[in-house]
Amino acid sequence: MSLAEQDDALIRAALDGSARAWDQLVRRHETQVYNFSLRLTGNPTDALDLMQEVFLGVYRNLHRFRGESRFSTWLFRIAHNKAIDMARRRPSSTSLESALQHGGDLVEARWQQLDDVPEQDPQALLDERQRNALIQAQMGALPLEQRLVVELKVFQSLTFEEIAELQDLSANTAKTRFYTALRRLKALMEQDHDM
Amino acid sequence: MTCERTATLVADYLDEALPPQQRHSLDQHAQQCPDCAVSLQEARRAHAHLLRWQQQAVPQWRRPALPEHDVQRPPLRWPGWQWAPLAASCMLALAVVLNVQISTGSPGLAIRFGAASTLDTAQLEARLAAFETQQQVALQTLSQALMQQQSADNARLMEAMIDSVIEQVGASTALSLEQVIAYFESQRQQDLQLLQAGYQQLADSDYATIRSVEQLAMLVQGGRP
Repeated sequence: MSLAEQDDALIRAALDGSARAWDQLVRRHETQVYNFSLRLTGNPTDALDLMQEVFLGVYRNLHRFRGESRFSTWLFRIAHNKAIDMARRRPSSTSLESALQHGGDLVEARWQQLDDVPEQDPQALLDERQRNALIQAQMGALPLEQRLVVELKVFQSLTFEEIAELQDLSANTAKTRFYTALRRLKALMEQDHDM
Repeated sequence: MTCERTATLVADYLDEALPPQQRHSLDQHAQQCPDCAVSLQEARRAHAHLLRWQQQAVPQWRRPALPEHDVQRPPLRWPGWQWAPLAASCMLALAVVLNVQISTGSPGLAIRFGAASTLDTAQLEARLAAFETQQQVALQTLSQALMQQQSADNARLMEAMIDSVIEQVGASTALSLEQVIAYFESQRQQDLQLLQAGYQQLADSDYATIRSVEQLAMLVQGGRP
């Protein structure tokens, strides 16, 4: 059974009232949604809030899922809209310093969790977290519409046609936004490298 | 190829969705146009930088495991019938409201369930008055009939007794006979008085019964006795 078929089975069971199937469905997709939220909001607290809203939105609209697209595509359509709602309510406060601080906090927490896993390289973990924090901060410096195009294209692998439909614009406009965002990111990378 | 198309082509180029012919065309253009070459290079490096993101584990969080009865069910097969239970409830509520009559008057606030009574207080009082009159007439008629009957019986009894006394004491005792007659006459008058008193008491009792019925009727109407 493919992943999409497993999703469909879990959705049917959840709609029939199975709390266990719903829980399993959430667990299958929560990592992807959390990372999506983290890149868009720039901090774990807001990311968890956004993730909560995304899954509540999924829950309330699950009966409307027709299986015409992959569940993950449908899920990120909801996530996309929830991210816009949240950005309107809470202006982004992401900065490189705050993102690095969050990254450092996460590394501290992770080290404490990994006391029993000596083979984990703390330096590699630190590098990983700091790199993620840097990307978070750079993404946070982009306007929301560019940030969303980059997120959907690079991390969610949507086609430009899907992005265009989602954002109600032409595919060429989506491509231009993507290109502009990448150039802006490159400029930010050079700034951070000079720091 | 012109520089205006670079933005869209770079996007496709990085997506590896660009057809080979267009990719070749873009490569050729980049070799001739330093600005586009720089743009393409910058975009590729930024793209590669983003792809270095490492998935982060989800921290502890409260998954939205809502109660099962909150699960949104699929719509009914016949969505037009969704209003039926609501409509039935509204009609029932309307029927109840229409059958409840609230009025204010001298007795105060009165709430009636069901259809309003066609008999009002004035009509009831008129009926009771007519009933009382009818009862009085009937009692008087009965009383007169009984008195006449009693008088006739007494007369017959007295005649029988006189005949009996005459037979016993003889015709010579005319004086004694007159005394006997006077005695019986006085006894008859006393009996008549007692009888009238009894009838009057009976009539009073009936009047009390009628008043009780009136009080009961007032209570039923919601008024005070």
